Amino acid sequence: MKRLSRGLRTLADCAPIANAKAPDRRMRTAVSRAKRTEDFAAQQSFDRAVAKLVQATPVSTEIQEWFANERMAEGAKRSWKKTALHPAILAIGIALVVIAVVAWITFDEQMHAFPGTATAKKLLNVAAMTRPSEFEPMETEAGTLNDLFFMKYRLEHYDVPPEFSQQRTIGVRVFDDDEAGQVAQISLAEKRMQLFLFPARRDSKSGKPEEFEGWRYIEQEGWTGAVQARKGVLFMAAVRGPKKDLAPYLTTKPQLR
Amino acid sequence: MTGEASKAQDIFQDTLREAAFLVANREPPADRYWFFREARWRCLDVVAQGVQPEHAANESTELSPKAPEQIEQLEPEQLAIWISAAPEPQRSALALYYLDEFNYREMMSMLGLKLTDLSRAIASGRREFQAWLNTTVPAAASE
Repeated sequence: MKRLSRGLRTLADCAPIANAKAPDRRMRTAVSRAKRTEDFAAQQSFDRAVAKLVQATPVSTEIQEWFANERMAEGAKRSWKKTALHPAILAIGIALVVIAVVAWITFDEQMHAFPGTATAKKLLNVAAMTRPSEFEPMETEAGTLNDLFFMKYRLEHYDVPPEFSQQRTIGVRVFDDDEAGQVAQISLAEKRMQLFLFPARRDSKSGKPEEFEGWRYIEQEGWTGAVQARKGVLFMAAVRGPKKDLAPYLTTKPQLR
Repeated sequence: MTGEASKAQDIFQDTLREAAFLVANREPPADRYWFFREARWRCLDVVAQGVQPEHAANESTELSPKAPEQIEQLEPEQLAIWISAAPEPQRSALALYYLDEFNYREMMSMLGLKLTDLSRAIASGRREFQAWLNTTVPAAASE
């Protein structure tokens, strides 16, 4: 084997004894090259003789009994059910589902978001926290308040849409919000509903109010709001409850979100 | 490897018990080689606690073309004794190699040896066994 390289000689020294197929290409190459040498033929004859002697080694009955069931030495095979119920797999699966749900919710929110979503959600919180005593008592029809807003507060186009203009009010207030600007908040007698009017967000480049078509629903901590944009002002009707409590008031079907 | 059947049986049973324990803990042995690895380590541990043979430098010689005939004259027990007297890891390497059930990668995995070490152990084992054969079965060697 002197003609073999060191690497091939190393492999040839461990060559399979029987004519079993070599486990990999390197070994096949080594055996193939080594077969051209006389030393390798002597090695194989030697190894076969020793292996034959090993095979002829008597195994006592006692030891044979140890291996009566050879299957016991096989690794346990897991069924797909067991694999799926493994705590690690289960945890990964749950995590993936949660990530998928959160991603879907985020995607859905982005798809249905409208200019002013964040402000409208903030005002839903305001609706939940405003006490009746904070309103200035005002018993009239909601549709008549636009004159009050314009005359007293110089708020132009703060008009209550026709869908809510016939509702009786019990109070009103106007306040400044850091994000929303000047907000008109109206408390209604019916279902303790609240109406909000606030400036629409303006495009940073053109300066024009960002508007959208129709009604859009938002939900926040048990409150539901229906939002509409008109003439640079956003109107929101807010009610404590689900969408179905607001739906009957809206003549045009809002886009669900 | 232990030189005593009773010790070997204890090791066999301990290995199976360990495997059963792992299975009970839902961490079954990854492959069948685990049994060989585990049993070997247990054997080495038992052997290390027993009387240690004196390891002298074994003579070695090139393989003889007459070696198969010399080997035919041996009793299997003689070979077993010779291999069991070899130092580790040569003993395990020769035992696994001549069982002729494992390829070199499997032996490397079970013994935790690099290819060069495995190769050296087997190659030197052959030459030393040949030297021992020449002494033990001289008639055949001299033909």
